[in-house]
Amino acid sequence: MEAVHDYTALKPELAAAANDHGEPKWVVDRRLAAIDDLADAALPEVNRFDIHRWPLTPAEPLAFSPSATDLAADVPVAADHVQIVQVGQTTVAVNLPADLADQGVILTDIFTAFREHPELTQPAFMTDIIKSNEDRLTSFHTAFLNAGVFLYVPQGVVIDAPIEIHLVQDSTQDDRPLVSHVLVIAGTDSHFAVTQHLTTQGDHANLASCVVEVRAQANSEVHFSSFDELGANTTTYLNRRANISRDATVDWAIGLMNDGDTFGDFDSELIGENSKSDAKVITLTGGRQRVGVNTRVTNRGKKSTGNILQRGVIMEKSTLIFNGIGHIIHGAAGANAEQENRVLMMSSKAHGDANPILLIDENDVLAGHAASVGQVDAKQMYYLMSRGITEPQAKRLVIRGFLSAVIQAIPAKDVRQNLTDTIERKLENGAEVE
Amino acid sequence: MATLEVKDLHVEVKDDEQNKTQEILKGVNLTMKTGEIHAIMGPNGTGKSTLSQTIMGQPNYHVTQGDILLNGESILKMPVDERARKGLFLGMQYPAEIQGVTNAEFLRAAMNARRADDDQISVMAFLKELDKNLALLDMSESMTERYLNEGFSGGEKKRNEILQLLMIKPTFALLDEIDSGLDIDALKVVSKGVNSMRGDNFGSLIITHYQRLLNYIVPDVVHVMMGGRIVKTGGADLAKTLEKEGYAGLRDDLGLDVDLVDEN
Repeated sequence: MEAVHDYTALKPELAAAANDHGEPKWVVDRRLAAIDDLADAALPEVNRFDIHRWPLTPAEPLAFSPSATDLAADVPVAADHVQIVQVGQTTVAVNLPADLADQGVILTDIFTAFREHPELTQPAFMTDIIKSNEDRLTSFHTAFLNAGVFLYVPQGVVIDAPIEIHLVQDSTQDDRPLVSHVLVIAGTDSHFAVTQHLTTQGDHANLASCVVEVRAQANSEVHFSSFDELGANTTTYLNRRANISRDATVDWAIGLMNDGDTFGDFDSELIGENSKSDAKVITLTGGRQRVGVNTRVTNRGKKSTGNILQRGVIMEKSTLIFNGIGHIIHGAAGANAEQENRVLMMSSKAHGDANPILLIDENDVLAGHAASVGQVDAKQMYYLMSRGITEPQAKRLVIRGFLSAVIQAIPAKDVRQNLTDTIERKLENGAEVE
Repeated sequence: MATLEVKDLHVEVKDDEQNKTQEILKGVNLTMKTGEIHAIMGPNGTGKSTLSQTIMGQPNYHVTQGDILLNGESILKMPVDERARKGLFLGMQYPAEIQGVTNAEFLRAAMNARRADDDQISVMAFLKELDKNLALLDMSESMTERYLNEGFSGGEKKRNEILQLLMIKPTFALLDEIDSGLDIDALKVVSKGVNSMRGDNFGSLIITHYQRLLNYIVPDVVHVMMGGRIVKTGGADLAKTLEKEGYAGLRDDLGLDVDLVDEN
């Protein structure tokens, strides 16, 4: 058990820090309420995966301190890209072309958005999509929020170029938890893609609590891809959820390539009739890393369609648990829910599981699932090797193919290439150690 | 000149479901040289595919007796990829599909696998060779950017096997029922591809049920296989005789005691 902290004692200090930070009263109130919730809230449930001993809710006082902007030197910043770059709590760059700003698109850091756009942020932030008091990790996130991004795409606006969100965790010092919130509001009939990239600079042990909330209003279409590359000494909590209205679509493509322990909680709430979601998650684990992922789709709306595809490769002594949770609520007639969870074991010392969990409270539905934990496909290996390709290279090709579902779904070519390179590098590192 | 020799080859296959082993090849002898095209004909279930898979080194086939020699060297202990780099190629009846790996990337990897690290093929040279062979096989350039065999039709898969043959340029190509499922136009294209490889530095063993393919790729030697052995060897005209008389006719002429799978 993590040490029980007296969070309530932190309240006066936290309120003072938030006030000094210039936050509106509703934000400060929400933080204080979250502190109260934190005392009793339980950790979220993760089937067959134990996060109780993880340092996910450190009792550090809320503190605001700038980070060195040169920690983002690797991030390609270009005036013709739509992008926001943050290092720790510091916003390094925001590129929003004038034509998008003129159409009412907002891309800014979350605290500016709280002050300047309360009509948009107050009803959404940790209230409607993810509720602050759902569990200990959501409460902690609200109470200790220290960074983030707000993106608003108004009604009818279509953006062709992907909107890039680069978040660099500053772990050049101890006691620098990154508690970062990305809030995305997609207006009716809007259409755009977001590509998020999470990285770490520095090797101090810190928490990353990174939450994404997406509200997809009627007939909007949002493609959200995230390439997660947080460091080996970072303990990561990811929570990404979309509320999806009538005729709207939210697709997720998540390349979970963190080097440290990670718990991911991904969720699509298909609220409106004919809403759709396609959630794809790939991961590759090595060393003694532990990764647990809950990917959930909840069909509430009639004729809603939700797909889950999870694929993971586990090497060395790592652990990977994929839980695919398909929940069809009574009344969601004509709903469709498919899921596939597959794990490739590359080492006999690794531990992995793929668990489909179906909760179906409606009769008129189509639901299916497939799950497997296995080795590299022998037929594919034979075919490649029969062309002279060596066993290690053939293995890398087959694994890359196995993980390609998410690579293909990423809109930006350079991100696809980076993800492919990271996969190759991890496979080579894993092979060297074994 | 290179040689491929199969000597008194006995092969067993283990059926994992029934946990039974079955002897499929019961003493096959065959010698071929570069510059020659051999055809193996025979009824279903007689061991033709087993022979080609065993030469290539498919791990489910176990050699219990005999040997396979490439240029006088036994290859039985070599893994599949090493046999390939030594010059063997198997055009498969059911090629594997591999998502996420493009045809072009795979072809380059295969070509580079047999070249030294400091002598990898340049992108320009690769593309030039690729374009030439795509044109020869009447294949669209878009095939090379598709994932390896994924969603390919039966005919496209066969053409893709021949494309690999032309790019990799092995010493000996074993072509397992490369004609099955092909319409006459595709059959001509595939044959044209194989014929373009003919020459002093190339030998091929073509496995087929039907004489039809051999009208387009005229073999130097025809072997007939039944019951796990080669029962008759002759010239190109042997295939024509077979087409006329059928396998049962030949079996009866030779006085063999072999059951034919498809016999009524």
